[in-house]
Amino acid sequence: MSKKVLVVDDDPDVRSFVVTVLEENQYIPLIAQDGVEGLEKIEKEKPDLVILDVLMPRGSGIRLYHHLKSHEQFKALPIIMFTGIALRSFLKSQKVLDEFQGAEVPKPDIYLEKPVDPEVLAAAVRKKLG
Amino acid sequence: MSAFKILIVDDEELIVRLLSMSLRSDGYQTVSAFSGEQGLEVFKSESPDIVVTDIKMPGMDGLELLKKIKEIDPEKEVIIVTGHGDIDSTITALQYGASDFINKPVRDAALAIALERAKSKIAIRKKLEEYTTTLEIKIAEATEEIRRKSNFQRLLITSSNDAIVAFDRDWKVVVYNPEAARLFGEAAKDVRNKMTIDDLYTPKIAKGFKNQVKDEKDQRNFPWKEQVIHTKDGRQIPVRYASNVLFENNEFVGTVNFFQDLTEIKRLEKELVQSERLAAVGQTVSGLAHYVKNILIGLKGGSYIVDVGIQNNNTEKLKSGWETIKKNIKRIGDLTQDLLTYSKQREPEMELCSPHDIINELVELLKGFAASKNVLLSKDLDKSIDQVMADPKTIHHALLNIINNAIDACIEDEDITKKHEVKILTHIDKNHMICFEVADNGCGMDEDTRNKLFTPMFSSKGGKGTGLGLLVTGKLIEEHKGIIEIETSPGVGSTFRVKLPYTKAKPVDGN
Ligand SMILES: Nc1ncnc2c1ncn2[C@@H]1O[C@H](COP(=O)(O)OP(=O)(O)OP(=O)(O)O)[C@@H](O)[C@H]1O
Ligand SMILES: [Mg+2]
Repeated sequence: MSKKVLVVDDDPDVRSFVVTVLEENQYIPLIAQDGVEGLEKIEKEKPDLVILDVLMPRGSGIRLYHHLKSHEQFKALPIIMFTGIALRSFLKSQKVLDEFQGAEVPKPDIYLEKPVDPEVLAAAVRKKLG
Repeated sequence: MSAFKILIVDDEELIVRLLSMSLRSDGYQTVSAFSGEQGLEVFKSESPDIVVTDIKMPGMDGLELLKKIKEIDPEKEVIIVTGHGDIDSTITALQYGASDFINKPVRDAALAIALERAKSKIAIRKKLEEYTTTLEIKIAEATEEIRRKSNFQRLLITSSNDAIVAFDRDWKVVVYNPEAARLFGEAAKDVRNKMTIDDLYTPKIAKGFKNQVKDEKDQRNFPWKEQVIHTKDGRQIPVRYASNVLFENNEFVGTVNFFQDLTEIKRLEKELVQSERLAAVGQTVSGLAHYVKNILIGLKGGSYIVDVGIQNNNTEKLKSGWETIKKNIKRIGDLTQDLLTYSKQREPEMELCSPHDIINELVELLKGFAASKNVLLSKDLDKSIDQVMADPKTIHHALLNIINNAIDACIEDEDITKKHEVKILTHIDKNHMICFEVADNGCGMDEDTRNKLFTPMFSSKGGKGTGLGLLVTGKLIEEHKGIIEIETSPGVGSTFRVKLPYTKAKPVDGN
């Protein structure tokens, strides 16, 4: 059975790109526009992987990331970070540090900095889901 | 002080005992001897303050004893008791340093007077001695202090970072510290006490200083000035210098000049300007690069979707990919336009137009997007406003930017319990300006963001904003002789007011 992948991104262009990549690789895409919607979909649809843009309005991407990393039931859910800034800047970003309140920011399973070639994205998904 | 000790020497025991008794009753301490030899012994062992001795004694006589005592202690008070008319002995005693004479038979009163005199001499000598020792100590201290001070001053001058050059009243160099040697390139040994101001400084500067002293007699300090020194070995050194005219008791004794080498400071200043410029450029460029990267992400994504559409013969994909591409092409177009608008002076193109039409158009354009983000776009327009003379492009551009920002601010707001709204208002204000007001109840701005608003490429939206919006808006409004006012409060919202001169009709051509 095909696996479900949730794309959480506020940018419609990015969403349709990722959705197309997923479809082309026989995954079932799900979409959410922000972190709040993202969590709803995760709870309801139980995706096998999340592709997450952390820098979204209201800091909701970071919060979702924090939530997923700090709750037992989500710890096994693989996350591909898919964002516009470098990993180094992400780990040092004040908003991120504030969200984690001094605790060490867990490194995402896979970190992809946009723009990313479709093949690379597909490979990353495959690596996690097979 | 303990009682004076007096040694009485006489070969006649009775006299010694009588004198002793009377002196003791006067408060003195006494010791006695009955011959010169014994007197000397007792003198050595008892060290009395005053000696009273008879001259005529068998064996060692008084003169001999006096001589011996004076050899031991030349300051000792020795009172000689002489018989009447014994002039020769008296003279010898004087030569030996006797302090006083009393005649025989010794009367108490005469002895008392002699003793008093001796005592006061001792006291004076003691005082004198004290004075001398303290004086010696004081002189030693003062000398040390002076040595230290002058050493200190010498060190101060030698180690000063300023070049210090001082001239005596004949303009001869008397102070020339190492920094001066470095600056002027002449060794101290060739300059100090050898050169005059004319040898050391270039003629122009030398003359300048001399005239300063001559012309401005009352002025003693000349403030810091900047100048370039041309050294003898051909270097040009930017310096800051000051000079002081030195007076002692109102008499001209010389001048001193202080020079600070500005070479390093000038270099740093230049570097700082350069690096500030680079930093500003860097910030601008990186902001721009971020935004362009975002467009690129859109274009790449779009073209991939188009590819997939072609491959799969999927019109849906084709359409969606093509939309993305077109949208991002427009973003490039807008960015280029913004950059051009910002960088070029532009005269507003005034024409008769309806601001409300522009607003209605904008609301139509943005309503859908706002609604999709749960933001209500509302307007409250002043009906009295109709056609005005203005540049419709300016109004359109400014309001589009500001309304977009307001919607973004609502989207960005953490408080999702709020009913987010962007209100657009118009009215004519008391200064006869047409006022466009855009008020949002979004995230608002903190002090820091507020201050950076009009810096090029400042955006809190990451790659999603150019940070050119307000900059261009501000410039257009300024060119339109208008103003922009901003009120904001973090967590509460912001109000942007654009005010343009209110001109209702075309000015009538003057004929
Ligand atoms: N109404 C507002 N409320 C809160 N912040 C605002 C508001 N308007 C502007 N800002 C702040 O000012 C910044 C600069 O605005 P500006 O319009 O110049 O650029 P931008 O909106 O970031 O980029 P672009 O205009 O290209 O989308 C914004 O990123 C935002 O932080
Ligand atoms: Mg803007």
